[in-house]
Amino acid sequence: MATIDLAKLSVREANELIRKAGAAGEDVDVLNPDAKHHIGVGLVHDVNVHVRGSAGYFCAGLTDTARFEVDNNVGWGLADNMLGGTAIVHGNAGAIAGVANRGADIIVHGNVGSRAGQVMKAGNLICVGNASFMAGYIMYGGRIIILGESGEQVGQDMTGGDIIVGGRINSMGKDAALTDLDQADKDEILELLERYKISFNGTLQRIANDGKQLRYSRNEPRVRNIPFFEATGEAGYWNEKVLEDIHIKSQIGRYRIRGYGTTRPLPHFGDIAFRKDLSNIETDPKVLEKINLKTKIGDRMGGKPLELSMPVMIAPMSYGALSKSAKLALATASRLSGISENTGEGGMMDEQRAEADLLIYQCLSGRLGWSIHDMQRADALEIYISQGAKPGLGGQLMANKVTEQIAKIRGIPAGIDLRSPSRHPDVLGADDLVIKIEEFREATGYRIPVSVKLGAGRVRDDIKIACKDGFDYVSLDGLQGSTGAAGNEVLEFVGIPTLAAITEAVDALVEIGHPGELPIVLMGGIKTGVDAAKALALGASAVAVGTSALIAGGCISCLQCHVGKCVVGIATQDPEHEKRYNISAEAQNIHHYLESLRWQLAAITEGLGYDDVHKISRDDLVALTPEAAQITGLPYVPEYRERDRDLLSEAS
Amino acid sequence: MCGIAGVMYKGDGVEADVGKALIAMLDGCQHRGPDSTGFALYHDAEPGELRLRFFVGEKEQAETTIAEIQDKLAEFQAELVKEERIGSTYAIIIRFTGDIQKLAYAMEHAAKLVSIGESLDIIKDLGGAFDVDDVYHVRDFTGSHGIGHVRLATESDVAPEASHPFWATGFADVSIVHNGQITNYYKLRRRLEKRGFEFNTANDSELVAVYLADKLSQGIPLKEALGTSIDDLDGTFSFLVSTKDEIGYAKDRLAAKPMVKFENDDLIAIASEEVSLNRLFPGHALNTSEPSPGTFDTWQRST
Ligand SMILES: Cc1cc2nc3c(=O)[nH]c(=O)nc-3n(C[C@H](O)[C@H](O)[C@H](O)COP(=O)(O)O)c2cc1C
Repeated sequence: MATIDLAKLSVREANELIRKAGAAGEDVDVLNPDAKHHIGVGLVHDVNVHVRGSAGYFCAGLTDTARFEVDNNVGWGLADNMLGGTAIVHGNAGAIAGVANRGADIIVHGNVGSRAGQVMKAGNLICVGNASFMAGYIMYGGRIIILGESGEQVGQDMTGGDIIVGGRINSMGKDAALTDLDQADKDEILELLERYKISFNGTLQRIANDGKQLRYSRNEPRVRNIPFFEATGEAGYWNEKVLEDIHIKSQIGRYRIRGYGTTRPLPHFGDIAFRKDLSNIETDPKVLEKINLKTKIGDRMGGKPLELSMPVMIAPMSYGALSKSAKLALATASRLSGISENTGEGGMMDEQRAEADLLIYQCLSGRLGWSIHDMQRADALEIYISQGAKPGLGGQLMANKVTEQIAKIRGIPAGIDLRSPSRHPDVLGADDLVIKIEEFREATGYRIPVSVKLGAGRVRDDIKIACKDGFDYVSLDGLQGSTGAAGNEVLEFVGIPTLAAITEAVDALVEIGHPGELPIVLMGGIKTGVDAAKALALGASAVAVGTSALIAGGCISCLQCHVGKCVVGIATQDPEHEKRYNISAEAQNIHHYLESLRWQLAAITEGLGYDDVHKISRDDLVALTPEAAQITGLPYVPEYRERDRDLLSEAS
Repeated sequence: MCGIAGVMYKGDGVEADVGKALIAMLDGCQHRGPDSTGFALYHDAEPGELRLRFFVGEKEQAETTIAEIQDKLAEFQAELVKEERIGSTYAIIIRFTGDIQKLAYAMEHAAKLVSIGESLDIIKDLGGAFDVDDVYHVRDFTGSHGIGHVRLATESDVAPEASHPFWATGFADVSIVHNGQITNYYKLRRRLEKRGFEFNTANDSELVAVYLADKLSQGIPLKEALGTSIDDLDGTFSFLVSTKDEIGYAKDRLAAKPMVKFENDDLIAIASEEVSLNRLFPGHALNTSEPSPGTFDTWQRST
């Protein structure tokens, strides 16, 4: 038995010792916990941890197989994302007790705060006292048992699982309904209660999903290529595309969903140019040997940085939106080019982990496929707040793509139109976010970088928060960024362009007195090494490519990613379609494309007279249009338009 | 974006270590807001006397501002009883019997006024609880109650005047600490401005303070005003309000911002997180409770 006194040790030191004891199979006693946060986070061993007092936020969070017992209260996020084991609390629990439970038994003898069991997927959450509002909010599976009052709106937006209530039901949530509870279920529940020495002899009621909102009521018809109204250069206000759009809406009665990014022309990298005429730059392949392209990102807080062979990453794209084959091709290409791959939403695959040298693991609001074991084998963690294609909204995966296999890795029911929540259960402000980041650091022993993915909306404020909250870097995605599925109007009109995003981000850091201290990985419409070089010149530390990597790997840009019938086998989960995808050949193609970025970056750096790509700066740039000048603050030099005419026509 | 804390000691004429208690509680939740820290402290009131504190800045700029303040005081026939320059502030006690609101608005135009009250003194500055204490000696303050705040600046600047607590501009002795965001800010502000109230900042927390103080000045009890605030304010909020002899809280219906309370025979303490409450009772497991969503309550000082 190890005894750990939190009056003498910091939580960080204590957690190291708890993990060590766990590895040695030793039980742990925690003295003087005094409601401190993160006690026991990251423990994955089958040992007992007894907390002699109250614990704070995320007690027993991100753990597996351990058995926790807390004598008094716990704060928010009890047993967050616990995979297995038990957590028993003798006092009350704060909000989101048992959030994202994936198989543990979590027992609270007192009351639980609001949103207990939010986005939980498996296991049991038992509350002996009363629950506050929205217990079971967006739950996907598992069982919540509330022996006291249910609280208001119980089961709000649940898609799976059961909520059993022993006391009064205060009110029902949206798409939740009372259903029968047969004797076998009852016996099983009573047995479970008995196992945890909870006596109950009232009547139990069962609440489950009502099945009315699992799917959109009408599917969208397939449409012609470039189907959206802003895409054509045709004159005419009520042109063909506009008419088509209205007709389709008159059939489906809602916003339209599609893949890809905005199709509107917006100020972009083609609207800025290098001051120096680079038309005669070197084509000698030796240029790669002369120029430093190596890029280290992510050691701002002392973790092991991502060491990239060039300032380029693969953008996070989910397994789910993309097929496994497409994800594996990206992973292989990232390894061949010495850069990083990112899981995106929806979990990490073993083969993907094996293929990629550097794998960033993304955590989204639904905690789909999130696990402590994958965190511990990742090279970096990324908290997704939003993305450029749909700032402020959660992921969307239409039913066609929610196959048994996808449902399993994500921990959700198969065949639903999955709309991931737009907010994290435990990130309701910059203040909670600090505590969340620290939970991730505790879970991984402060070894790896933690970044944040931000869609460009209020970039100035967001970047300041990201800097103060202590992220290692930011993945910043402009309005031009793509997606697997989002509402068309959101794609077109919500957010600010990539150029504006990087400019605001750089300025924001200056405003708070930390210029350049928070690396920005910029994405959203990066097509070439020239774009990438301009992004770096504007202050990005690296860029990420999504769409262009997909195109290099066979995507035909039909904008129908959401339908799930991708003819080339990229944006589909249909095995018949996926069969068409040749992983190794496409991995080579993506790799070649990435190498073209490398060559262009090196050649431009050399052409500008530097030996290191990170020496390129704003001073090397001019704006070719008044809009781009206004957005970036670069000098407006229209004369360069003539010089760069060829490049420009290419870019638009 | 922040953490809040408040404490009220029970018993007639208590002289408890309110300053030390608030420092400990705020240090306990400093992770929620490292940019600035503030305290609203309630002294014993002397009849006919008012306390004022201003941000005056440094050096010559401070000299000019102080001269302007003194001119204005003379204009209002306020007699200076005591003055002190500390940190970036100028704190005074005056004898004054006229219209406090008029005086307050006039002073506010002359300089950056932090607070006015018979009892209230707001101390707030950049840095953590201990940093602010180092300059202003908050630890020496004894009394019955006070509230405090740690702030992470998001939309507005990192500046002392943008820190909490906020004083209800124009109304003596009402202060607030707030965690959250009021989304119908402009609508409510315009309504209050139409009625002649002035605002010192563009901060939504100041609005909550003025909203409540306005009700109090109409003779509405604090508890009732807190009740209507839950209906009238949109957004996410957990806030603590204090007057000369009462403290209270209100929490919105979505409960997006945390709040925990502890009460025993000696005191009532409320904070964003239990870890702050535990700082008052190290090594003890406290019997705390979390106020329900959409609730409010008040506690009266024993007199
Ligand atoms: C099919 C697809 C799936 C995506 N999935 C995610 C995701 O899971 N998480 C995320 O942060 N971004 C996701 N994105 C957005 C990309 O990470 C990136 O922000 C965007 O694609 C960058 O713009 P680009 O495509 O113009 O390079 C996805 C994009 C696509 C095209």
